[in-house]
Amino acid sequence: MSYVDLNEITVSYDGKHNILEGLNLKIEKGELVSLLGPSGCGKTTTLRVVAGYIQPRSGDLMVNDQNYTKIPVHKRNFGIVFQSYALFPHLTVGENVAFGLKMKKEDKKVIEKKVDNMLETCGLSEYKNRYPKQLSGGQRQRVALARALVIEPNLLLLDEPLSNLDAKLRIQMRVEIKRLQKKLGITTIFVTHDQEECFSISDRVAVMNNGIIEQYDTPENIYAKPKTEFVARFIGFENFIDVERKEDHLFGSQGVSFRVDDVPEYDVKKMTIRPDDIEIVKTPVPENGISGQVAVRTFLGKSYQYEVQSDFGSLIVNGSDSDVYETGDQIHMVLPSHKIVLV
Amino acid sequence: MKNKIPYLFLLPGIVLLLFFLFLPLVSVLWPTIFPDGLSLSAYIAFFKDEYYMEILMRTMRIAVIATIVCAIMGVPTAYFISRCSKKWKGILIAVSIFPMLTNSVVRSFAWINILGKNGVINKVLLAMGLIKQPVGMLYTEFSVLMGTIYLFLPIMIMTLVGVMDNIDNDLMEAAESLGANKMRSFLKVVLPLSIPGVITGAVLVFTGALTAYTTPQLLGGNKSLVLSTFIYQRAMTLNDWTGAGVIAFVMIVITLVVMKVLNALATRLDRRGENHA
Amino acid sequence: MRRYKGLTIFSVIVFSFLIIPLVIIVVTAFGTEKTIAFPIKGFTFSWFQVALSSKSFKNAFFLSFKVAMIATLMALLIGIPAAYALSRYSLKGKKLLKSFFLSPTIVPGIVVGYSLFLFIVIKLKMPVFEGLLLGHFLVVLPYVIRVVGGALEQFDFSIEEVAWSLGCNKWLAFFKIVLPNISSGIISSFLLAFINSFNNIPVSMFLTGPGIVTLPNTLMSYVEYNYDPTVSAISVMLMLATIIIMFIVEKTLGISALAK
Repeated sequence: MSYVDLNEITVSYDGKHNILEGLNLKIEKGELVSLLGPSGCGKTTTLRVVAGYIQPRSGDLMVNDQNYTKIPVHKRNFGIVFQSYALFPHLTVGENVAFGLKMKKEDKKVIEKKVDNMLETCGLSEYKNRYPKQLSGGQRQRVALARALVIEPNLLLLDEPLSNLDAKLRIQMRVEIKRLQKKLGITTIFVTHDQEECFSISDRVAVMNNGIIEQYDTPENIYAKPKTEFVARFIGFENFIDVERKEDHLFGSQGVSFRVDDVPEYDVKKMTIRPDDIEIVKTPVPENGISGQVAVRTFLGKSYQYEVQSDFGSLIVNGSDSDVYETGDQIHMVLPSHKIVLV
Repeated sequence: MKNKIPYLFLLPGIVLLLFFLFLPLVSVLWPTIFPDGLSLSAYIAFFKDEYYMEILMRTMRIAVIATIVCAIMGVPTAYFISRCSKKWKGILIAVSIFPMLTNSVVRSFAWINILGKNGVINKVLLAMGLIKQPVGMLYTEFSVLMGTIYLFLPIMIMTLVGVMDNIDNDLMEAAESLGANKMRSFLKVVLPLSIPGVITGAVLVFTGALTAYTTPQLLGGNKSLVLSTFIYQRAMTLNDWTGAGVIAFVMIVITLVVMKVLNALATRLDRRGENHA
Repeated sequence: MRRYKGLTIFSVIVFSFLIIPLVIIVVTAFGTEKTIAFPIKGFTFSWFQVALSSKSFKNAFFLSFKVAMIATLMALLIGIPAAYALSRYSLKGKKLLKSFFLSPTIVPGIVVGYSLFLFIVIKLKMPVFEGLLLGHFLVVLPYVIRVVGGALEQFDFSIEEVAWSLGCNKWLAFFKIVLPNISSGIISSFLLAFINSFNNIPVSMFLTGPGIVTLPNTLMSYVEYNYDPTVSAISVMLMLATIIIMFIVEKTLGISALAK
């Protein structure tokens, strides 16, 4: 059995509309799993169910073979870091970190030692006697993390912990979080809406939408092989072409057939490809070739992006820096068969 | 029954308010409507009686004039405070708050010293030879009005300072750059933006002035009765408990109506402001 | 800074209007004449002596202090949990509940006092003192609800939730985490409630009895029948107390804490 097991969790605030709909999620010990999705998809609600702030209407939460569904928050021993950090403003950094240990009524000397160790691990030793107000955003974030980790939690829950930091610090902190998490071997759930952040940090990712998990897989698989149109769109596939499958062949409109390397077992309605993966070629190509007219050209810095009107609708294509086309130009493209994903 | 805690927290307050505010109120007001079966006769008598109407009208008149005067005095002053340097602002706010925290007997007493027969004004006028006999200014509608304005001006100023602080100085400068002089930019920019604050202040001043007891008692006495001093007289001196109940009900209704109307107006104006922003 | 001459003059006049009447009282408190005179002819502290040795004023002061203190503590005890429930939870009819808790503000003080007098003293035959306490409690409760509620609006409740996750139960978290962080709101509501109860007259008008007359009410009946500087002296002492409170507040919370 998995270390964490969310079993058919249903949550509704008003008794009519479900925010989570029979959600299932299994996490292995030591894994870092991200819940990724747009705001309102239910990822924070899921985290709050695990934390114990929300009682699910039905379903069970098992952690380490123990049923946690009815256990109150303060008896769960899960470490939590909020987006706002939620540091206790009236306590110093040291007192913030010591809080959880004091609640467990640990020995004073033990607390002192654990706090000092944790502050050192997080690079906060010199700030021990400062108040949260006197710290920078990055330092506050570290205190919040230290406070959650020092209680040696059974589970670490992070709710968009990096979204209040600037871009540079964000990258630095996510490496830091990953390092600490692996070092301490703490099973972690990480909620985010930022896919880059999520891919860089996670062992597995659950992409959520409308209260259900659309896909639960490794970051590599989600990036390369989205299983639903929602997931594909969310992680940057912008071109969608309606297709119909007849035996092993795929047909677009007007009966044009496409070759796709990876054809899944399940029913497919669309094929999709990233703007980066469409190649612009000089002469028309018979297999997987599409032609069209440049409607809009946008300068991206490294190269140009074109919006091309084709027989299959409008396609977004990132050009190479060698050839540049003008608005109105007729161009030929090829969709490489190994880059096409069917959803 | 998901979460009982909030209701547990609210319960003691609800019980106390029900038992010691609403129940006593109902027990006072009930006999005025149901002497023996529904009858509005007490109210009809009230509104038909000229003497009662005179008191009601005087109360309303004082409340309305005091509100207007407080607004006229308060708006420029609050604007002045909000544009002062930090140090002066602190001092002027303290000067405005101080009377608010001073007992209303003391504040009314101050006006006895000024308006009384031996008061400052009479002495000055006598010394200047403008009058031969001291003029009786106390126990008139005028003295009540002065005391009431004095009582509620600080509230108006403090309400407005909060609003004025949020008016960006750039707006004034923008108006001036567009060719408006200081007076015009104040009238065209600051004043319209502070209207919701003026209304909030007006609710406080009006309801306060309508229900104030101390000042009309000390500065108006039995000669210039208002509703609140009249209730006391009815109940304590004349033992007319039904009459006192009727006056109480009239006061509550006027307070509620004025509050609702002005607050609704303030909300509407506030929304308009948001849409423009 | 560019000056607005007309505005400055106008404001100076308004502030003079606010301050001069109180200054006159201060001056008259030191006059030697038997009745209040301004300007004064001689200087004396004797009216302060008269005021301080008056038994009825002393008793009234202690009664007012006692009533204000108990009523304020009651209002905090009942108002803080209520304000917490009103801002922490999404309740049905929250707006209505909030106006219910603020409802004493729409009932004129004289009416609160009158109805309590009829109901508690006449009908239930309870002692006047209890009625007086309840009346003052009703009058100051809205201050607590409003000011503490305002402080709670600023409070990030995820701070409380984190405390739970660190092994703190809900009761302990309320005392150890929520209360310390709204303490300035609690202190200002305490001061506002206390000052307003101590100064209140209309509620106490009907709720008097032998030995039960508050200081402002004693002062008021004294003013109605006497015209000597004793009242000025007492006024000066009350103003002095106010200034001391304001000074302490300015040094700790900032003076705007009293402007609610």
